[in-house]
Amino acid sequence: MEKPVVEVNSLIKQYGKLKAVDGISFKVNEGEVFAFLGPNGAGKTTTVEILECLRPLTDGSAKVFGYDVTKNADVKEIKKRIGVLPQDFSALEKLTVKENIDLIGDMYGQHLDVAKVIELLDLQDKTNERFENLSGGLKQRVGVAAALVNDPQLVFLDEPTTGLDPKARREVWAVITNLKKLQKTVFLTTHYMEEAQALADRIAIIDKGKIVLTGSPQELISEHGGLKVLIIRKGEKRVADILQEKYDNVTLDKSADVLVKVDDVNEMWQVMATLTEMKLNKEIEIQSPTIEDVFLKVVGGRITEEGELKQ
Amino acid sequence: MRAITIFKAVTKNWMRSRSGLFFSILFPILLLLVFGAIFSNTGGSTNFNLYIQNLDRTTPGGNPSGLSAAFVDALNATKAFAITNVPPEENATSYVQKALGPLGGNIRILIISEGFQDDLLNGTLKVRVGISYSTLNISYQYFAPYLNDSQRIAFQQGLVQMQQYNESLPERKTSLTIMLDVSDQPAMIVRNIITSVANAFNYQLIGAENVIQFIQTPVTSTRLTNIDFYIPGVTAAFIMTNGVIGLTSNTSEFKRRGIIKRLSLTPLSKMDWIIGNILSQTLLNLLLTAMMLMLGWVIFNVRIIPDAFAILLIFLGSVMFSGIGMLLSGLVKDVEAASAIGNAIAFPMMFLSGTYFPLEIMPSYLQTFAKILPLTYFSEGLRYAMIYNYPEGTYVNIAIVAALAVGFIIVGSLVTKWKEK
Repeated sequence: MEKPVVEVNSLIKQYGKLKAVDGISFKVNEGEVFAFLGPNGAGKTTTVEILECLRPLTDGSAKVFGYDVTKNADVKEIKKRIGVLPQDFSALEKLTVKENIDLIGDMYGQHLDVAKVIELLDLQDKTNERFENLSGGLKQRVGVAAALVNDPQLVFLDEPTTGLDPKARREVWAVITNLKKLQKTVFLTTHYMEEAQALADRIAIIDKGKIVLTGSPQELISEHGGLKVLIIRKGEKRVADILQEKYDNVTLDKSADVLVKVDDVNEMWQVMATLTEMKLNKEIEIQSPTIEDVFLKVVGGRITEEGELKQ
Repeated sequence: MRAITIFKAVTKNWMRSRSGLFFSILFPILLLLVFGAIFSNTGGSTNFNLYIQNLDRTTPGGNPSGLSAAFVDALNATKAFAITNVPPEENATSYVQKALGPLGGNIRILIISEGFQDDLLNGTLKVRVGISYSTLNISYQYFAPYLNDSQRIAFQQGLVQMQQYNESLPERKTSLTIMLDVSDQPAMIVRNIITSVANAFNYQLIGAENVIQFIQTPVTSTRLTNIDFYIPGVTAAFIMTNGVIGLTSNTSEFKRRGIIKRLSLTPLSKMDWIIGNILSQTLLNLLLTAMMLMLGWVIFNVRIIPDAFAILLIFLGSVMFSGIGMLLSGLVKDVEAASAIGNAIAFPMMFLSGTYFPLEIMPSYLQTFAKILPLTYFSEGLRYAMIYNYPEGTYVNIAIVAALAVGFIIVGSLVTKWKEK
């Protein structure tokens, strides 16, 4: 039985005439990794900060563990139960890793043994290193450690890998995967498609303050990702011409690769059989649709590395 | 308890920061050393350069006359001047300009005019006769009723002859020419010293003695030096800069880097955060005061010892300036602007609150302006508590600083954002 830890209904956040969050509703269930996927300015951080009791809402309702984020008495209860890695996390530069995690831990009545949290994040070698001397990836791991020190049931990770190099990004992914094993509920915001697809149990695609789509990555891809593509590397015009006589979705791209979109497995085997008859000695690749294809289809654009929406 | 944790963390972070330590502790100490060297009289006495051209000679091109030489000796005896003689045949201004060289300096020339000795002697004789006549005349008025007619007539004749003799003496006054540069700040002091010496010289020549005796009694219980008076001022000024510049910049930097936001996501309250920072500022300022005093004791032999009121004032001052720091960092968005505004407020306040210069030498409108500056009351209170041992003055300033501290902390905490918009 799914037990929601976050319940949001018709949430609106307005700055003057601008609606940063425009009537969104969703739930986050206990133990799942829920990802908010969208470009910069879509309303991800605003929503998360409302749930973290950092920002007031304009209209609608938001509850965390059943507590209302707008009630002062409830805010205290929410803050005790959540862990947060804010966007662009930073800590006191001259304090060590342990001292910084200790500082956050001491803000709570009870907290986990800091040494164990450090071990969990594999930061033992850096325990006494000053925060200012850490790499970007290690700083994020300290941020996650600080988010876990109060043993929260729900962890908000706001853009945890933005600005990190690919290696550091993978390290943070491993940490998030580990959180799932620890049965923590994770609310992740990201503009990286690959990240959402790799980590999330469910994804909500958000754009211009509205949730466009919600579902598991598999559901989203199968329902909105479109057709699989068979790619015949360097097939050139001759192959494209032959296939176009038999199939509808055949194109030749600039790299002279022939792309054949197939509806299902049967059609894929038929194309393969045709290629076998032609006795072609070409490299063949099958490309499945991704969340990026879903996003492109439902939002009508791609997100750049910096998080901007490119139509 | 959370406030104590914040206090420990913020203090540790500050103590490990080289730039923080420099500006909060080392820079004030360096400044104290500079002030100490200037005002503690350990580097020798103050000497004003003075060029003297003595034109009063016994013969043309000969030795200076006795009285003109004695006057120069009297100036020398004050130990206020480094005197250089200008040859009588030279143009004094050109000579001094040449002597000062390309880098220049303050032109201060005293010209003793020709006939100085003769004019002085004649002028003195007329003054003496005048005084004698006046004295005898008063005596005559007093004794006349007791004299017989012949005695009265003889006295009156004597007085008339003395008056006639005095009138026959020429009015002779000698002059000294003082040439001073208008841009020369100590010029007034130089002129006053020369005038005092000239007056003393006058009295000596007419045989007068001062009937007013100056008795100098220190207003403080212990014998204090100039540097003792500067330590409370310098300490007050830097406690102010620690709050207005240091805390403003630090808090803005914490805000920019999201540290305050991160802490506000925990159960930490805004008040705990503010109290933690105030405690940290208080410790820093007590440390600063202790180091300044220790340095003063060891190097400059200062004698002041802070009492409980001084420590209370340092605490209240830390609260007051922390409040101003919180207020500024709450109002200003970016670090650079916060630092600039902190400096723009702190530096004028430092110089207009009587910490380095006495308020009395400032124009009246600036003296009025000083009365609205919090540092005025803080530094004055510290001086009363640490030097003058004047409890009433200390209490009044403690009350004013306490009221301002409460006001600034309330406003500062109101503008400190613990929640985003």
